[in-house]
Amino acid sequence: MSVAEAPRRERAAWSPARLDRGERIRAVIIVALLLLVLFALPARMSAYWTNVATQVAIFSVVSLGLGMLIGRVGLVSLGQYAVLALGAWVGARLCFATGLPFPMVLLLTGLITMVLGTLVGLPALRLSGLYLALITLMLAAAITVVLNATNFPNGGKGFLGHVENDFGNPEVRRPSIAETDPAYFRYAVIVAVVLFLIALLHVRGKPGRAWAAIRQSEPAALAAGVNITLYKLWAFALASFMTGVAGGVLAGDVGELFVQQFPTSNNIVLLAVVLMGGVYSIWGAIVAGALFKLLPALLDNWGLPADLLTILFGVGILQVLLTAPAGLVYQFPRDMKRLGGALLGLARRVGIAGGRAS
Amino acid sequence: MPSWQEFQPFIVTGLALGGVYALSGVGMVVLYRTTGVLNLAFGAVGAMGALIAWQAINEWGWAEEPAYLVCVLFGGVVTLLYGLIFGPPLASRDPLVKATATLGLALILLGAMSWIWSDKARSMILPTSTESFQVGDVLVNYTQVLGIVFGVVVTVGTVLFLRFTKLGTAMRGLANDREITATLGVPVRRVEASAWLVSGLISGVAGLLLSNLVGLDAATLTFLVISSLAAALIARLSSVVVTLLAGFVVGLATALATPILSISEYRNMAPFVLATLALLWLSRKGHTISGRAV
Amino acid sequence: MSLTFQSGTNGLIGPNGAGKTTFFNVLSGFVDPSEGSVHAFGEDLLAMPHYRRARWGVRRTFQTEQAIEELSVAGNVALAHEHSKLGDRASRRQDVLGAIEFVGLDIDPDVKVGTLGARERRLVEVARAVVGRPKLVLLDEPGAGLPDEETEHLGRVIQRIPEHMGGLVILVDHDMSLVSACCETTAVLDFGRLIATGPTADVLRDEAVMKAYLGTEEIEGSEQVA
Repeated sequence: MSVAEAPRRERAAWSPARLDRGERIRAVIIVALLLLVLFALPARMSAYWTNVATQVAIFSVVSLGLGMLIGRVGLVSLGQYAVLALGAWVGARLCFATGLPFPMVLLLTGLITMVLGTLVGLPALRLSGLYLALITLMLAAAITVVLNATNFPNGGKGFLGHVENDFGNPEVRRPSIAETDPAYFRYAVIVAVVLFLIALLHVRGKPGRAWAAIRQSEPAALAAGVNITLYKLWAFALASFMTGVAGGVLAGDVGELFVQQFPTSNNIVLLAVVLMGGVYSIWGAIVAGALFKLLPALLDNWGLPADLLTILFGVGILQVLLTAPAGLVYQFPRDMKRLGGALLGLARRVGIAGGRAS
Repeated sequence: MPSWQEFQPFIVTGLALGGVYALSGVGMVVLYRTTGVLNLAFGAVGAMGALIAWQAINEWGWAEEPAYLVCVLFGGVVTLLYGLIFGPPLASRDPLVKATATLGLALILLGAMSWIWSDKARSMILPTSTESFQVGDVLVNYTQVLGIVFGVVVTVGTVLFLRFTKLGTAMRGLANDREITATLGVPVRRVEASAWLVSGLISGVAGLLLSNLVGLDAATLTFLVISSLAAALIARLSSVVVTLLAGFVVGLATALATPILSISEYRNMAPFVLATLALLWLSRKGHTISGRAV
Repeated sequence: MSLTFQSGTNGLIGPNGAGKTTFFNVLSGFVDPSEGSVHAFGEDLLAMPHYRRARWGVRRTFQTEQAIEELSVAGNVALAHEHSKLGDRASRRQDVLGAIEFVGLDIDPDVKVGTLGARERRLVEVARAVVGRPKLVLLDEPGAGLPDEETEHLGRVIQRIPEHMGGLVILVDHDMSLVSACCETTAVLDFGRLIATGPTADVLRDEAVMKAYLGTEEIEGSEQVA
């Protein structure tokens, strides 16, 4: 064999820069949809639904971080919602303490959250995945404890930046270009898009290949020279970074943060929606964000109790783990196809019966 | 630093809590060793049992004893049912998947509890709490004694049971090698079912005791499982005796931080801190490769 | 026991439980031996962390094939290349496609390994092991489970590894025809001891070797290693 021979196929999918035709078409559709979301949607939504949509964008990012950990690397973190709370705390603190431009605040928030989150994962990453899940569950509870003691920054003095004040507190500031709710919605979507692209670059590139190897077979990854601990840590750090940035956006969104917004049980709810949305696809993260924030809003609208949803999510975890590991993103179209088929069959039968009857 | 005098009552509190943590930890470790399932819904099951007992006593006017019995039985039945329904289809999956699945049960129970009982504050006072005796300067009530005694007795009982009974030997066999044990003619399903049942009964007992010692609140009791998990994790999810000791350490560490003002508010971080230290210790030896292909 | 391999393709045979795979595990860093030393090309392998050995140039395949299903053929091969110091970024594409061609895989390199059959997966794994001029290639029963004609093709590929891809090859297999076809020299292990070494043809005729095998199985007998 001679290496000098021209390779028969020029295109190589392992270089992320190249897109084939199908991918290009998909990219165009995505950009079109995105433009629709950015410019057509906010004008048509009430203030309430604009808020909900902003939250969906934020939680899509959080879900993407956790989904990547589970689906790509095979790690389960049970404390990702607490990491979000951490990010919101850091973001709010930075906003009150500095006059940095908002994107800088978000970047710093992501980095600080990343360092804190990664430190926790470090001792568990060399052990089996079960230990990481357990220690992150404990982290979730521990962060709740800390938040209960410190509260969220609200313009007070000192390191914690919290002050008890009966006359109302200043809110976490928003970027000057996105003071209004619709503008902030656009801002959140753009931040989400940037983070999705970062994730996509990772999954398509060298880290993505290393993660795929680790997930299927650690010995094979090792034999190929993959530094397993480093790449697991990398994934964990990336998820923490994304969740931290999302926390910063969340702080700007709600303005005034309370401990009650971050109950420990939401860590498990988050896991449920991420599993239900689907961990093997980036779209699953958007579905998960919608399940987490849009569904409760709809239920509330219809006057149904939110606890029903908690039960549904519990059933969802079991259903996904037992029968549909790819989540709704894959399951739903298949179910719809089946449902469509069944309806068609039914319609035909009814039609025949009707034809006979007439 | 507070004086010794101020610490004394918290030693008893800590030991009582530690006893219950150990009790739960042992229940979880035995189930994990036998079936490979780390039941993260352990706390939620106990919490719901305790709430049902509360309902029976305060709303339906039951006598206390049958209500307590129902609480313990509820733990056993729900856990057993879960094991029977979801154990077999998940049997071949990774321990991580099995543990994650139990979170589904935890969410279902959490949702149900929040729906039925809302988040109103309630209290459960066991009759054993009304009587107490003096040790030195400290007043000790019998619920606290019960916590300590249950922790020790269940642990010792489990050790003896695993070593000297046929069922116990079968459980140890399953923990070592499922397939070989199955080919030796051990009725795997039945052995696993008994592990689910016993572990569930323990969760009921723990839920009842904790609802008195800590408070009757669905979320609090559900996530108290973390203290027991820390104990089990320190014992590497395998040693029952170490789980007992670790349970006491977690309970004591949490309680003894109470009188120290600077860290009092953070005392409930104790399980996390201790478990992290344990993990650092466990992973100190170079590399650990979890899956071997050859 | 002391065992030295020369450059070229070397066979390593022995009955079940003789310690062949353990030997590979020690070389590739999956097992840390309690004592002893492993030197290759003047370097102390045991001093390197496991993943670094692959970077330095120890590559291996597994008894149960371990091609990564989720990745494409090229992705699998690129994985080993991008985590080694043996080839640079600029030559990666060429090296990867070259390795795929070298093992005789005539398929689209962008196709996912999960969709391939046993033969192709084996070859992908071999390509992953030889890409980018490795120093030491350890092949653990690459012929297991393959039909005869595929094994012959594999034998021709293995034979050409030292010359075309570089490095020293050690082949463990129970298929003696594969071993004698590829390997100039062969060593025989039995219960962790070296009982014979030398040119393959001589070793296979050795009496001690026959005895070690006769007790357990026929030389070309079927193979089942747990």
